[in-house]
Amino acid sequence: MGTFTSRFWSSRVRALVAAAAGAVAALCVSSTADAQEILLTGPLAGAPAVRQLRLHREGRVELAPGVSFSLLDEYQRAIVPGLRVTYHPFDWLGVGVWGGYGFAVKTNLADELQKVGIDERRCADNPSSKACRLTEVNLTRAGTNPSGDPARTGQLADDQLASMTWFLAPQITAVPFRGKIALFASLFADADIAFFAGPAFIGLRERKACGGTEDNGTPRPACSQSFSLTDRVAIAPTFGLQLNFYATDFIGFGAEFRALPFSWNTAGFDNHGQGQDNAFPDQKVDGSDSEFKFNSMMSVYATIALPTKIKVTE
Amino acid sequence: MRKARVGLLVAAALVAVPLTALAQPKGGAQQDTPKEVNLDDEPPADQPVDDGSDTGGDTGGDTGGDTGLGGGICDITPEVCQNQDFDKLAKRPLNVEMYAVQQIYALRYRRFEVNAYGLQTLNDQFVSHPGGGLAVNWYISNVLAVGVNGNVYGNAVSSFNFQTSRSARVGLPITEYQWNANVNFSYVPAYGKFAGFGDFIFHYDYFVIGGVGAISTRPIAVIDPDNRVFEFEPKVNFRLGGGIRIFFNRWLAAVLEVSDYIFFDKLENPQIPAGIDEAQNSDTWLAEGTSFTNNVQVQGGLSFFLPPTWEYRLPK
Repeated sequence: MGTFTSRFWSSRVRALVAAAAGAVAALCVSSTADAQEILLTGPLAGAPAVRQLRLHREGRVELAPGVSFSLLDEYQRAIVPGLRVTYHPFDWLGVGVWGGYGFAVKTNLADELQKVGIDERRCADNPSSKACRLTEVNLTRAGTNPSGDPARTGQLADDQLASMTWFLAPQITAVPFRGKIALFASLFADADIAFFAGPAFIGLRERKACGGTEDNGTPRPACSQSFSLTDRVAIAPTFGLQLNFYATDFIGFGAEFRALPFSWNTAGFDNHGQGQDNAFPDQKVDGSDSEFKFNSMMSVYATIALPTKIKVTE
Repeated sequence: MRKARVGLLVAAALVAVPLTALAQPKGGAQQDTPKEVNLDDEPPADQPVDDGSDTGGDTGGDTGGDTGLGGGICDITPEVCQNQDFDKLAKRPLNVEMYAVQQIYALRYRRFEVNAYGLQTLNDQFVSHPGGGLAVNWYISNVLAVGVNGNVYGNAVSSFNFQTSRSARVGLPITEYQWNANVNFSYVPAYGKFAGFGDFIFHYDYFVIGGVGAISTRPIAVIDPDNRVFEFEPKVNFRLGGGIRIFFNRWLAAVLEVSDYIFFDKLENPQIPAGIDEAQNSDTWLAEGTSFTNNVQVQGGLSFFLPPTWEYRLPK
């Protein structure tokens, strides 16, 4: 029995090993065939994939001033002039930091909400109307704030809409793809595709918490009486993709997509806090009203590489 | 004296080598009868693979012999060849005219492109419109194509719409999309190649696209859903877009594209007229005028180029 079992397991192990070896061999064979397909059949048959590669990054510091635009914003966009500084110990790897300051610009939805929900509703004159009573926690009205906060202006952007005010993101950049581009078959430039990732520190301006109590038991002002903004820092992962073009040995330009996923309360509304899955409003605006957003940005920038002299491979 | 003569011959041969490297300049096509070469065909077994270093012709580049070094010079004065480090000579810098992209990897001229893709609308926060589409293009030149595409949409009202309406007591007109079809022109202004990890090479191009067509939409009744039921109705739309195409081989490519379908939409009337008869009168359901709408969508899919092979006119 023991012999049978050992034989059984032995054959099973051999079969598994053989299958694994076959799979590895198959993968190796297919990957090798893929990598060599162009070389075998193309006009540069037999040549190495890259010769005399111009190392735009290796041993250089890259300065990239640019401007970023947030995408798919609900109430306020961020336009972010910024600077990226990256040092590349290798042509394919760099470490750096990106930072910028955000200017908030209202979306059409914010304007429409201001017009229909606040200006035309005139709740100061009709405080007991149904719409005004039901929105007193969520839509600002001109007046004073308790606790010495600045007065309410009655403008959504001033009193309750959230915005991203500054960014600081240390990041690692990998450059797996290097190549060339021909524009109109007459202009040629080196190009690369880079990926980056790192932690991001984002300055947020959000509606100040109201209703309920603080952690220490201190009561907060009622949300119907409190519409003001406060600052906090959100920490989030950031990652993205860059397309870079090199016009000269040390000057180039590029575009970048950046993701900054984190939770925040973009509208300053009381959307959550009680009921099943906290799906119902609780007359309080606090952390439970933050929602996860896949915040994203597009950037365009120029690049300046220092020192200006470039290395070339054999 | 004999050494000096041999040295001169060697120098002459070395000067001739860069000239022979210019075997495929721009003007070569006019000078020689183009030879049609199918790049997907394997070379005959009795011929070496052409690596672009063929120095044939009358310019002294005939490599001859088994070693391929020195050519006729070595036949005349073998002792000189023994004293030359040809590996070192081969690595010397050559001032050769080279193009950034020597040869377009996948020609599009007179080929069909069949592009199947999935899509997701980007800029409608209230209703998500995932869907799919199919495009067919015919390349009338290597960079210019005419074609058609069609999209079908699903519709999913977002929680954001519900929360905004609940919190602000504001009914925001929202729209369903049904289908969209266009006649397009596309242009390929840029193409290139990338080396991945310094090892394998893939080719890509950028394209821009413009077109005109129709999109079928209807409002979703949110202001007065009890009385209003809307039917789909096509509207004229214009299309602007661009994208990138990455070739896996000469007939298959991945395509990522962003297109803006611009149209004038008809939205639900935010006002409900007094009286049940008026409220049920379909003439009162739509708001006055039209709303300029950008339906920006990202499209990702695969392109198949037909026929899959072609004859590459290569001057030799």
